[in-house]
Amino acid sequence: MKNMNNKNNLEEKIMSQIKSGKVKLRSRYIFLAEKVGIGSAFVFSLLLAVLFLALLFFYLKSSDNLIYLSFGSRGLFAFLETFPYLLLISLVISIFIAGFILKKSGVMYQKPFGYLAIGMVGFIFLVGTFLTFTSLIQKLEERSYQRMGPERALRPLIHQRFMEKENGTAGRVMEIGENYINIQTPIGLQKLDLSALNLLEISFTEGAFVMAVGEKTEDNIFLVEKIKIINEEEMPFLRRGVQEKFGSFERREKPGFLDPQKRCFSDCINEGKTTTSCQGGCWQR
Amino acid sequence: MTTKPGLTDEQLVVAVREKDKELYSEIIKRYSGKIGHYLCNFIKDTDDRQDVMQLVFIKAYRNLYDFDASRRFSPWLYRIAHNEALNYLKKYKKESLSLDEEEWEIVDEKMNLAEKTDSKILKSKIEKGLLKLKDRYREALILYFFEQKTYEEIGDILQVPRSTVGVLILRGKKELKEILKNEKYEQ
Repeated sequence: MKNMNNKNNLEEKIMSQIKSGKVKLRSRYIFLAEKVGIGSAFVFSLLLAVLFLALLFFYLKSSDNLIYLSFGSRGLFAFLETFPYLLLISLVISIFIAGFILKKSGVMYQKPFGYLAIGMVGFIFLVGTFLTFTSLIQKLEERSYQRMGPERALRPLIHQRFMEKENGTAGRVMEIGENYINIQTPIGLQKLDLSALNLLEISFTEGAFVMAVGEKTEDNIFLVEKIKIINEEEMPFLRRGVQEKFGSFERREKPGFLDPQKRCFSDCINEGKTTTSCQGGCWQR
Repeated sequence: MTTKPGLTDEQLVVAVREKDKELYSEIIKRYSGKIGHYLCNFIKDTDDRQDVMQLVFIKAYRNLYDFDASRRFSPWLYRIAHNEALNYLKKYKKESLSLDEEEWEIVDEKMNLAEKTDSKILKSKIEKGLLKLKDRYREALILYFFEQKTYEEIGDILQVPRSTVGVLILRGKKELKEILKNEKYEQ
């Protein structure tokens, strides 16, 4: 009897609130908007993950990063210095966000989440790998250099090479001297001290691209432990970085010729001044 | 007030949404007993239970457009009740469980406890045992044994795959048996 009374009371209470308009049906459009919003957020985070993965693969394929590993233990440090951590972190975060939305939305709860997660990561890897070998990612990377446009947002993620490196360097040979060479890197000019090497084994040419591992001294000279000449075609990241900073390479017109800026820099270095101060003095005139 | 005994729950929901709000009273009539019984598993206090039940039906009414009429209404409503019960337990940090006579007999029979001890002691043991279980196992066992829900319905209520429901029930039963066995030896 008491239960019956409770039931009736409950029904009356609820219905009186509904009839009085105190409790209203939420509009179907609110639910529609919620679903569209959640769906869009999921697709957006999935696409971001694909983009980050494609950029990561493209960076590894096109930059000097992976090649440092071929130099042995010193190369490992250079590899770690140039690894695009920000890109990797962004990739992991976007995968987690996509997974979180998938789990919390409850849309596909009838399927085990483990399988869904594996499927999602598999999709990201498949599409990301495919994109790496298309021209789309390269175009995006090229556009990220432009002064305007949304692609600029990618700059901090992929321009790891603009960082100062302690254990490795790569760039275009601009001057060859006795036991040293000067190279143009995406972050500026760098003098490489080759005195620890057997130079008979290597013949440098101006305009060629080189990679080296070693140690940077306090006066910004790079003491080379190992060096190799590389094919610039295999490293568009490096080539574009150097070209953006210094323009195309112009070969000497005759032996011993150096344009006034290069001559100034060479003289400055030979006077024992630091690369940075010479660079500032000669190129910012 | 109109009553529509011929309509299914799902048809009734569509009618409430599109035509007559007052038909919602029929839904309350159909489900207040079942939801009240289900909430008994979580909330012992009658007044608190009534409050939570009211909250469940109001929440369900507000969100009626979120219900997909091509699916079954009952698991959807139980899901709301389930969430509200958990919210209540979290809010008041209470945990209570009360089995009625029929319920503990079902547990005894289905789990084949084969225990010949005094029925009152067994009932109290099962109550305590269920409380010691992990939440996920306890919820699945309650829905399966006491609410007589199918695996599919339990999956819809707890929002887990059907295969997981089977695992939860199996492990829950195993753990409950272990707990009861251990208590027997302790005595």
